[in-house]
Amino acid sequence: MMKGDFEVVNGALNLVQPSETWDYTPAGFPVPHHISNLPSTTARPVLDGHCTNTNLSDFMEQVASPFSEASPSTNGFPMDTSLPTDNITTSPDEYRSRKAPRRVHESAACGGESRSSKSLAERDEHGLNMITILLECAVAISTENLPQANRMLLELTQMASPYSPSCAERVVAYFTKAMTSRVMNSWLGFCSPLVPHRSILSAFQAYNNISPFIKFAHFTANQAILEALHQKERVHIIDLDIMQGLQWPALFHILATRADGPPHVRMTGLGTSMAMLEETGRQLSNFARRLGMSFEFHPIAERAGDVDPSMVPSQRGEAVAVHWLQHTLYDATGPDRNTMRLLELLAPRVITLVEQEMAHTGSFLDRFVESLHYYSAIFDSLGMSLPFDNPSRHRVEHGLLSREINNILAIGGPARSGEEKFVSWRMELACRGFVQMPMSGNSMAQAQLILNMFPPSLGYTIFQGDGTLRLGWKDTRLYTASAWTARPTR
Amino acid sequence: MVTPPAHTPAPPATDQTSQSGLVRLDKDQLIRLVEVFDFSSKLDQAHHCFSSNSGIKARLKIIKKRRLNAEGFPRQGDFAEISQIKSAFHLFVEKSLKKCFISVASLIKPTIASAPIIRMPGALVSLQSSDQQSSFNSSHTSSGSRSSKAHHFLHHPFQNQEEELYKEECGNNYHLYMDEDFSSSSSSKHFHPHPSTTTTTTTPVPSAATATPTASTAHVLFEPVDFSFPPDLNLDFASPSSSSSAAGAAASGGGGGGGWAAQLLLECAQAVAARDSQRVQQLMWMLNELASPYGDTEQKVASYFLQALFARLTSAGPRTLRTLAAASDRTCSFDSTRRTALRFQELSPWSSFGHVAANGAILESFLDAAAGGGSPPQRLHILDLSNTFCTQWPTLLEALATRSSDDTPHLSITNVVSSASPSAAVQRVMKEIVQRMEKFARLMGVPFKFNVIHHAGDLSELDLDRLDLRDGGGAALAINCVNALHGVSPAGRRRDALIASLRRLQPRIVTVVEEEADLETAGGGDVGGEEGEEVFLKGFRESLRFFSAYFDSLEESFPRTSNERLALERAAGRAMVDLVACPAAESAERRETASCWSRRMREAGFAPAAFSEDVADDVKALLRRYKEGWSMRAAEEAEDPGGAAAGIFLAWKDQPVVWASAWKP
Repeated sequence: MMKGDFEVVNGALNLVQPSETWDYTPAGFPVPHHISNLPSTTARPVLDGHCTNTNLSDFMEQVASPFSEASPSTNGFPMDTSLPTDNITTSPDEYRSRKAPRRVHESAACGGESRSSKSLAERDEHGLNMITILLECAVAISTENLPQANRMLLELTQMASPYSPSCAERVVAYFTKAMTSRVMNSWLGFCSPLVPHRSILSAFQAYNNISPFIKFAHFTANQAILEALHQKERVHIIDLDIMQGLQWPALFHILATRADGPPHVRMTGLGTSMAMLEETGRQLSNFARRLGMSFEFHPIAERAGDVDPSMVPSQRGEAVAVHWLQHTLYDATGPDRNTMRLLELLAPRVITLVEQEMAHTGSFLDRFVESLHYYSAIFDSLGMSLPFDNPSRHRVEHGLLSREINNILAIGGPARSGEEKFVSWRMELACRGFVQMPMSGNSMAQAQLILNMFPPSLGYTIFQGDGTLRLGWKDTRLYTASAWTARPTR
Repeated sequence: MVTPPAHTPAPPATDQTSQSGLVRLDKDQLIRLVEVFDFSSKLDQAHHCFSSNSGIKARLKIIKKRRLNAEGFPRQGDFAEISQIKSAFHLFVEKSLKKCFISVASLIKPTIASAPIIRMPGALVSLQSSDQQSSFNSSHTSSGSRSSKAHHFLHHPFQNQEEELYKEECGNNYHLYMDEDFSSSSSSKHFHPHPSTTTTTTTPVPSAATATPTASTAHVLFEPVDFSFPPDLNLDFASPSSSSSAAGAAASGGGGGGGWAAQLLLECAQAVAARDSQRVQQLMWMLNELASPYGDTEQKVASYFLQALFARLTSAGPRTLRTLAAASDRTCSFDSTRRTALRFQELSPWSSFGHVAANGAILESFLDAAAGGGSPPQRLHILDLSNTFCTQWPTLLEALATRSSDDTPHLSITNVVSSASPSAAVQRVMKEIVQRMEKFARLMGVPFKFNVIHHAGDLSELDLDRLDLRDGGGAALAINCVNALHGVSPAGRRRDALIASLRRLQPRIVTVVEEEADLETAGGGDVGGEEGEEVFLKGFRESLRFFSAYFDSLEESFPRTSNERLALERAAGRAMVDLVACPAAESAERRETASCWSRRMREAGFAPAAFSEDVADDVKALLRRYKEGWSMRAAEEAEDPGGAAAGIFLAWKDQPVVWASAWKP
């Protein structure tokens, strides 16, 4: 059993190569990297001296950062000069600028330079020790050695603080929490999620305020929708998980002032609670009214996969846009197959899809490794922009990211419903005859505009290529926006 | 389970697994890590790789030496050396990293034993002294949110820009839109069970007793009928204020109603007592989904009690407690202990209340003796049985130095530090404290002698007669027990035995400070049958009441993201495991009520010594320095079924939480 797991792990480890070159099928669609990597097209000799920085290595680097702070010349390491090859914007200068604010945090946290430098060695030791236990614990869970895992988790609960100045320690604290919950789930024998939607919404709003990721999703999607709805008189926007509808006012504003006059907007919002949907609808209606735009809102308190397609009727002459910002806070859409069927029936003019650049499927160890990489980068990025005791940062980490980690590591993965989930929606859409619409230069400009709100030293980066736009931190891609259509214009 | 990686041959270059993402990509980072952190500890492993190349070996040794000597490693020259040996190191790492990342883990595992203890300037005693320049009870000068203020200048730089952009994109109306709080709607039932929980599945429901770990792919759902929420359960996660008030309500309601955590936990404990495994399973699932040790008070209480219940149900109470204690012991340093203790004193009177009251009583008994007997005793000896890391004594030393009429008397303190098992951390910490106490006494001009006795095992097994407490005769003896007596096992009349042996020492005064909770008989499974379940439930309810109040007071005293508060909560979490999942006879957490302790003291031949007006005023002055919600009340006024309690209570929101008293033979 254990052997089998490890084999799967090794397969999965190929997934996380950040240096993958994007292969294209004859049809011109990107093939998810785990497929393209199978024939080992991109595998490199191990000893070629090319060291690509991974998310985990960022994670490790985070542990190492106190040391490199003490001696910025660490950048002179030969291995550092051969940083990743593609789309990398990090330079030694950025490394330095990255350290600077963190050092301020630390010295402020510890009350003095002398202190922070003195405790560095201890903290390094502490960090490495925790990571080691965490990795061993993940292996124990994957082999169902629950008593062993529980023992290590108990240790970690006494060691890692989610309020630490060290991002690595914060990540370990939340992974420990998620894995503790996982062990108990295993013992209980089931694991359906309970979702506190209201606290998630407020954390989501905080996330929107303190990091560019959500805005990136909103604005790039809005741009793609705007372009696809050009000159359409009647539009129907379907948001598969509308939450507070934070992104729509911006689109409404542009639609209301466009040259060819405002369209009639019909919006269908899917969500979990009718009360919250109605609240969102009220807000959006008010906003549209102030803009003088003709608007109707249809709340559907169902997941997309559970919706009877007749509940989402499309009217004649109406241009349909579907938007879906994916996350693992809860299972927003239900069975993927049903969701796909709904999309096929709707045949939208545009589908805007924002995915997390992380495989949600696979064995526990797969998910553990993937999410450790992924969330280390996100935690690092938050740590770059906010001091360690910032309440919003805690709110986002605890209310949002921790919840995602929890769902990813729980039995059954993020969906936790036993329903089949696609490995990659992009691939699946391509297989079903949807055609990718490359993100336009304007979308890129939008994304750049959002990034400009954040000092470049924070390390956010945009990756462009294969028609998608990706926002990441340093060299780790985190969110990918793409647009699709069921009605290719020829 | 996985063999160490070092001796496996390097996989061939074409081997897929050796090039798997994590291992390959992580390698260079790892090399650097090993070089900068862990060089020395890995050299031995590296030697067999380099045995053919003595030149590299020698260089490694040089670098290791520099690193150990901390000569500003790495220096420019070192980089050249490192890059020279880099390729060799590649080989080493290549050989070492096997096929999966556990190899990485074991490779980078550092040697714990070599962790240096960092001693910081401005530690416990000296910091206190600088904070308390003037009077006896002014030890809590609010140096408040120093750390939080320090960050204001870093406050988010782009929020305004962001707003501007929104205005630009959406017009000014958008701003209004954003300002409306989406999370404040009228609905009072905020809880929305996930649709999937009501999905009927054909999978049979496993019973908790037979529930075995399922493979990661296995998936079992309950039948929908199983998910009945307790009636009137208000699961409100939105408003942070509701949680604390709910916890307060739960606490004042005797642990009965109130917040969702108390409600679910009590139902769960009842199901445990009734051996209703299906109900236990449901409730634990809910608690597991909702709880968080880093959330609001409700979530925290739920999380720590859930941990304790889990330990009980897996019959792993003592083992869990040992693991937790050992891990916290390893993490504990003098510095962290100092910070936590000082912050706790600074923000909450929970600990300082007892210190001020006890110090007042000790000092007065000493001065009374001086006034009444004509010649004041030249020597004062305090037997301190408390594990409070001497946070109590600086104020007493200062008072002795400033209030004694003539010569400052000679003060000896014998601190008995007891723990269930020998604790390296406590020894480390105490060693540091001894030095600081002595330094502080010199500073104050108090002739001073300090003794630490580490006692592993139950305090009642300590041979008090072996201690030299009279300094060769003539010293006035005071005995100080702050949260010390409840550490004695409640079994076999050990508590009475200890108090009787204290009486035999003929102290001038005994000060007893205890947390107010009725947990002496809280069942840990040592009583069988229905009676045992009753005892367990009673104890659980009382633990829940007490710790809800404690967490509630922490919530209102500390900032949200405080590591010191986290340390206090984790300590409370360990106490919960002890109370809920461990046999009472081995317990060190069975608190008793003031009236129970008073009865024991009286039976041993002690009489209560009332606190003077001055001491009461000191305590009141102390409480004024903290947030609202704290009050002092005399034990006689408080509800006291036995009517036997002496002393004073510290109350949080009208609920007595700490009791302080003084006794004379």
